[in-house]
Amino acid sequence: MRSSVIGRVFVFLLVVLGAYMWVGQAITAMTGGERKAASVVEVTPEGGEAIFWGKGRCFTCHSLGGEGSAVRCPNLGQFGEKFPLPIGARAEQRAKERSEETGVHYNSTDYLVESLAKPDAYLVEGYKNEMAIVYAPPISLNLKEIKAVIAYLQSQGGDLDLDNIENPGELAQGYYARIAAASAAGGGDPGNGEEMFADTCSDCHSIAGEGGGIGPDLSRIGEKGLKFISQSILRPARKISEGFETWVVVTNSDERKHVGLKSKDTPAEVQITKATGEVAVIPREDIREIEQDEGASVMPNDLTEMLTVKDFQDVLAYLMMQKGDEASAEEGAQ
Amino acid sequence: MTKIQLRSETSRGTGWLVLGVTLALFSPEVLALEPNEYRQFMGIDSRRLVWFLAQMHLFFGAFVLGVPLFAVIVEIVGWRGADSKLDKLAYEFTSLLSVAYATTAALGGLLAFALFTLYPTFMGYMAGLFKDVMFMYALLFFAETFFLYLYYYGWNRMQGGGPFPVKLQWFFRGLGILIIGAAVVLLFGGFGLQMRGDTRSFIALLYILPLGVGVLILKDLKSSHILIGILLNIAGTAIMQLANSWAGFMMSPAGVDEEGELIGTVWQVFENILATPVAVHRMLGNLAFGGLVAGAYAAVKFIGAKTPAERAHYDWMGYIANFVAICGLIPLPFAGYYLGREVYSTSAVMGNNMMGGDFSWTFIIQAMLVGSLFLISNYYLWSGMTRIPGSDRYYKYIKFILGALIISFAIWLTPHNLPLTSGEVGDMGGSQYHPTLKFMGLMPAKNAVVNLIILSTFFSFLLYRRGNKSDVVPISQQGRIPQIVISLAGLVAVAIVGQYALSMLNLDPADLDLPADRAHYFRTVGYLLAFECAMAVLAVILALRDHGKLAQGLYMAVTALSVVIFLGVYGFVVMEKASPFLRNIAVSQFLQLISCIILVTAIDIYLFRGARELGQLQWGKMTVRSQYALLLLTFVITMNMGLMGFIRSGLRGDWHIFGVMRDTSPWSYTPSNYTMTEMVSLAVLVFMVGVAFMFWLGGIAAKNKAPDQPSEKPADAPDGPASSSTPRAGG
Repeated sequence: MRSSVIGRVFVFLLVVLGAYMWVGQAITAMTGGERKAASVVEVTPEGGEAIFWGKGRCFTCHSLGGEGSAVRCPNLGQFGEKFPLPIGARAEQRAKERSEETGVHYNSTDYLVESLAKPDAYLVEGYKNEMAIVYAPPISLNLKEIKAVIAYLQSQGGDLDLDNIENPGELAQGYYARIAAASAAGGGDPGNGEEMFADTCSDCHSIAGEGGGIGPDLSRIGEKGLKFISQSILRPARKISEGFETWVVVTNSDERKHVGLKSKDTPAEVQITKATGEVAVIPREDIREIEQDEGASVMPNDLTEMLTVKDFQDVLAYLMMQKGDEASAEEGAQ
Repeated sequence: MTKIQLRSETSRGTGWLVLGVTLALFSPEVLALEPNEYRQFMGIDSRRLVWFLAQMHLFFGAFVLGVPLFAVIVEIVGWRGADSKLDKLAYEFTSLLSVAYATTAALGGLLAFALFTLYPTFMGYMAGLFKDVMFMYALLFFAETFFLYLYYYGWNRMQGGGPFPVKLQWFFRGLGILIIGAAVVLLFGGFGLQMRGDTRSFIALLYILPLGVGVLILKDLKSSHILIGILLNIAGTAIMQLANSWAGFMMSPAGVDEEGELIGTVWQVFENILATPVAVHRMLGNLAFGGLVAGAYAAVKFIGAKTPAERAHYDWMGYIANFVAICGLIPLPFAGYYLGREVYSTSAVMGNNMMGGDFSWTFIIQAMLVGSLFLISNYYLWSGMTRIPGSDRYYKYIKFILGALIISFAIWLTPHNLPLTSGEVGDMGGSQYHPTLKFMGLMPAKNAVVNLIILSTFFSFLLYRRGNKSDVVPISQQGRIPQIVISLAGLVAVAIVGQYALSMLNLDPADLDLPADRAHYFRTVGYLLAFECAMAVLAVILALRDHGKLAQGLYMAVTALSVVIFLGVYGFVVMEKASPFLRNIAVSQFLQLISCIILVTAIDIYLFRGARELGQLQWGKMTVRSQYALLLLTFVITMNMGLMGFIRSGLRGDWHIFGVMRDTSPWSYTPSNYTMTEMVSLAVLVFMVGVAFMFWLGGIAAKNKAPDQPSEKPADAPDGPASSSTPRAGG
């Protein structure tokens, strides 16, 4: 092979790579270089602006008037006929609409807090609920950062009320509690967690009087902390609540083994409630053996195969909110 | 280079890799939430070092996975057509593989060392989680090495010999059918239901089915050699799939809790959501990449050729390589769409960041590269028509195809908003959006033109195929096989489009959070798809009644009108009134296009089979410019691979493992596009120089081993194919 051919091909390669780098350089010059996300901010519009265009990644879906290029979600500035008001002023109008719809008083802060904490509560016509849970991974904004974003949005054509953002009414406080609980649980989505609980857990467990009675009532489970709840789901046999031990009864008549909770124990009979919900009533005289199985739980130990990681985190977030305060729990889960 | 040298080099490379994996297996197991430790080597930015090494490993890996795919396909075509020239070509490419294989393994070892020493916490965690998979990976490497030796060194010895005893042949047929049956049963969920559907399909279609086909065709030593080639590819693909599961897990972790503790099974960890979509995308990318690197080799040889015979040989080699590359390129956007959709399903944040966040401008560069790939591929095909007598009849269409490509390319590149100064914004009436161009920057426009680009390239390919054919051969006179194949292709087309039509007609607006009165937007698309199905049926009927050209023209025209014009415009309406439905429009466009390509190709194969030729193909009658086009294709696809790797990896943002383990290193930020082009350019430059060096080494080895070349050289070898009797790939 002649070296001139290799030389020409090599020069050609250098020209192509040079053009490639020129394009990269030109685009970077137009759009800016690498940005490190700011994470610690004050609750001010400026702090919120840094989060909106940085760590919070709000700009990937929302534009703000002519700023940004996203069209997936509503433009938060004044933009065309569809959005005649910027979000600060729009929030005040929407608060009135929400008050009429729900019968609960909303102000601008309440509406904005709700939009971030529970995006599906109100959907702008023509848009789908595809907003990320901003206090869950991977965005993982903390409460302070969320308040800063609310301040930034409120400052867009609305009346900025920092006092109200820091100390809002009951409605927004409920959402703040929801965000705090979710953050403590590694950032799950309690709304989805509630649905998962209803599908997977409520046949056996109850919360606030709703659900099955095979397993313990979980209305105050949040008070026991994240580690306890997590371990109880992953390794249910490790620590079993009193009264929910697993019993094994072997009968004389058919030599069957009944495994489950001892839901009734009288001199005449023993009642075993199995994990399936089936109840076996066994007369005393038919019992050959009865003993507690300390290494087993009636609760399925393969829940991890039924739940995805996200579902697991969501359920954790939902359970973390169950601290016996029905009002706040229900509010948060809505 | 001698066999012993080659063997020791390959063994050394494998040794590095095995050492790396061993290091992984003995690393301490850690939880994701423990504080991360980062180290540096000689003060170098660790992320850039790992980035460079990973990119180099992936380039060489893609080459050593792509070339065997390519080689076996060419060998099978040569074997079926009793064409020893194709066999020689396959052998020539395989000879390039040995050196690249050793380099890939050595780079893999180096990458593993870099990762374990510079990111010890992260890699300790990964090794703890994937220790079983890593063991499998190392063992598969032995399998691949073994099959590569057998495949390469057994080439000559397995050429001759008589057929196996008839009973043995029947045994292999039975066994092959059994294995193929198992693949089909697995594919349709007869067993393996605990797997994800895409993983099951991947295993059925890429491991079990090829194995079954390889066993089914066993009848002599040559077919045994092909089976070894298939096993080589299966081992290579499995290695890639295992490694992909690590990359996939980093983006879409499964089977672990928020602290990174394993709460599921290793299988769940391995079979994470993105593992298979990435693997499918890589498979096609590797095929295109392997073909184009081989094409670059042919192009360089062509440019330096001293005799017309050499030029003819390398022209032909370049053509075959480019053809294989196009076969990989055409479905690649669909695989990319599937991967993108799964990324979005994994995390809307990641998906939005991909198309509308940090990487939106990177995707503009990607659009430039992909658009260039199609444009240059078309140019190469058009240049190739100059060597086909009679193809001048079709020159008149080229200007229209070129026009369509350029307009489509321009629209594809148009950004939605323009990065402007405040003065420029003022001049445009206070908006960053150009009053007209802003529409070109939206997804409906981009979806329409990307389909038009693929359709135009397909049309160029059809023109190339029929270049020297005098006229069509009536399908009714070709027996039953064409009727069965065309009908089946029609059935596939109807099934692909029809199932989606049904789902559109039954889609509940509430599923997309839309009010009930938006249902008519779905129904319109449903009826359009139903009409497309009817057109497919009509095209089959016309083709079987010897109106094949009309059938092709009608079906392509209807598809173009539906996909590009109607849905292109309708997309804007949907965007305004029922935005969430826009994604379904894109899917319906892709499905119509792929169905059109399947059916029209099936008709075309039989329409011109055995047609009278207007003259012999004049291999070597190509401009040097066209060879530079072939080189450019290789450079562009290599740059694009680097760019896409940057996007895929960068989507995790400041997470090593998305949502589970944060990247707390000083390098935890998304680099600029300029940094990306710098890093990718460096990797491409080093890779190309490395490949050139290997080709040179391969050339020396070939000279030393001349007596070992396949003995059944045709009378005109090594001149290459000079006559049109040489089967043209796809022709």
